[in-house]
Amino acid sequence: MRKPHPTAVIPALLAAALLQACGGDPNSPGIEYMPDMYRSPSVEAYVDPGQDPYLVGEEKAAAQRSTPSARLPVAGTVPFSFDPAKAAFNFHYPYPATQEGYERAGLELKSPLPMTQPVVDRGKVIYDKFCLHCHGAKGEGDGSVVKNGNYPPPPSYLTILKDMPEGKIFHSITYGKNVAMGGHASQLDKEERWAVTRYVQYLQNGGKLLRDTPVPAADSTATAAK
Amino acid sequence: MPRQSRFSFRSPGLFHALFVLALTLTAAPSLAQPADAALYATGEKVFKGNCASCHKPDKDMTGPALKGARARWEGKGDIYAWVRNSTDVIKSGNPYANELFAKWNKALMTPMAVSNEEIDAVLYYADNYAPAAAKAPAAGTPAPAGEPQEVSFWPWVLVIGLLLLVVALSLGGVRKSLNNAVREAEGKGPLPDRTAWQGFKNWVWHNKVFASVLGLLLLTWGITAAWDWALTIGVYGGDTVAHYKPEQPIRFDHTLHAGKADKGNLAINCQYCHSGAEKSKHAGIPSANVCMNCHQAVTESQRNPWSNAEIKKIHEATGWDGMAYTGTPKPIQWVKVHNLPDLAFFSHEQHVAVGKLECQECHGPIDEQMDQAEQWAPLTMGWCIQCHKDKEVKMAGNGYYDEIMARLEKDEKLGHRELKQYLEDEKITVKELGGWECAKCHY
Repeated sequence: MRKPHPTAVIPALLAAALLQACGGDPNSPGIEYMPDMYRSPSVEAYVDPGQDPYLVGEEKAAAQRSTPSARLPVAGTVPFSFDPAKAAFNFHYPYPATQEGYERAGLELKSPLPMTQPVVDRGKVIYDKFCLHCHGAKGEGDGSVVKNGNYPPPPSYLTILKDMPEGKIFHSITYGKNVAMGGHASQLDKEERWAVTRYVQYLQNGGKLLRDTPVPAADSTATAAK
Repeated sequence: MPRQSRFSFRSPGLFHALFVLALTLTAAPSLAQPADAALYATGEKVFKGNCASCHKPDKDMTGPALKGARARWEGKGDIYAWVRNSTDVIKSGNPYANELFAKWNKALMTPMAVSNEEIDAVLYYADNYAPAAAKAPAAGTPAPAGEPQEVSFWPWVLVIGLLLLVVALSLGGVRKSLNNAVREAEGKGPLPDRTAWQGFKNWVWHNKVFASVLGLLLLTWGITAAWDWALTIGVYGGDTVAHYKPEQPIRFDHTLHAGKADKGNLAINCQYCHSGAEKSKHAGIPSANVCMNCHQAVTESQRNPWSNAEIKKIHEATGWDGMAYTGTPKPIQWVKVHNLPDLAFFSHEQHVAVGKLECQECHGPIDEQMDQAEQWAPLTMGWCIQCHKDKEVKMAGNGYYDEIMARLEKDEKLGHRELKQYLEDEKITVKELGGWECAKCHY
């Protein structure tokens, strides 16, 4: 927007004084044009319904404002997709967030996604957003959070975690592992978690789809990889 | 522009330099050097490579603090065997091992392929552990200085105007007394006193042309200024108004979390927390469990003077007290910054997943400058459609536009002509693919 001519002293001073009066407090957005369109009576994310005191009265608005708008999903429900290609992800995840569940997932759980380049590529996109900053580009546990934030380094995919089976990888992404890694189930759906699991395996293989030496059977690694 | 003192204590690097200097001076003598520095260094290296994921030298984390571990194991079993393969020691029925196993939630420690010497070194390191001098924020990453201030010229105009007024008034006074002196010499009485308003009217009467031109100019300027001001109503970002920058219940520092790694920041991807941006209308404010993905382990920070208090607020919000879950979470009531009126539809998914825009293109240098989030863009319709007019659609490898392109290419008459029109400026813009249709955003 163009600036008023510098010699417009008097009206501009008046305008500036007005602006100062309404725009000075960073906690207040300033004058609203059509408040009823900004403060909608319909439910919107992160804005509680009916929060406009003009519409519902201050008392009711205050009560509604104190209700959290972000909520947990109803207990016992699972996300469901009618897309047949995603049928494998519709089921309840049966392993509990315990040491026993972790071990069982490692023995029994198998990825529904194939180990192919497109899946790995998709996994890499997710890995770069959700894992890279701790695990590092090659999974060596040297991400920026570890380096700059003095964060407990995750073990390397190339040494300690080299033989971790896919079930354990998936379980760890879902529920987290130890204190340093939280669960990522709220950020990634099952398909995304499986895709990123494939990419982690790709990194375990040193950047190859298949390992030079065959992966040991899952049961022999049950105790070797924590 | 946010109103901040230009001489804020947060801005200059000098204070950091002094702070770092003071820290090094005070901290250095108090750091007791371990007797065997080489062993300490070996231990530190082995510790960081193998143990640091789960153990801290001086604090319990996933596993117990290693300080004093040797003393705790004294006479209770073979600590070397315990470190190398804890499962076997537990199975062998060692009472202390089983007690520890039960105490630490039956979590097994990864067997470690380390030698006795390395274990000795690690335990020596842990027993003599002295935290490195508090890491002052790296010199390259001063807390973001307040954005460069626009130098306002209005105060100067006011000062100069006042000065001119004073000069004019005193000149007027001088002239009047001179006139009176002349009249006195001519034997006439002094001029009658006139109010300023009468003087003004008199002046206007004698300078009609000049006064009308000046009046017309003033009127025009007044209307322009009022128009410009009116255009800022309901605008909370952009170049013309102070950005809306509300105080949040937790002072989250975007520059630390999302800033570039080479500047000593954590460089966490925006979408790690705002994971809805790619698949939903809303980018989303992360629920506090996402904070706790890291902040269960990060309980303190030296980054900002307020960091520790703010981290404590996350723990309170999620119902954690140190390492224990209290079971009473307290929702955080964030203040919404960007608010579009209901009459306009906007979807993050369309702009992030299809348009492949960077967050910063609309939200500004949030990862470099904003230790408190603010509305950077004006979010006016003019701003929206300007971008839709200029922006080239990223077609390459973008499945979203395959069909429209196929249709254009198939229709040899109309489609080809349209495509040629689009490509006159050598790019296909959002507008050309319907980005200026009213019903795209208003329905």
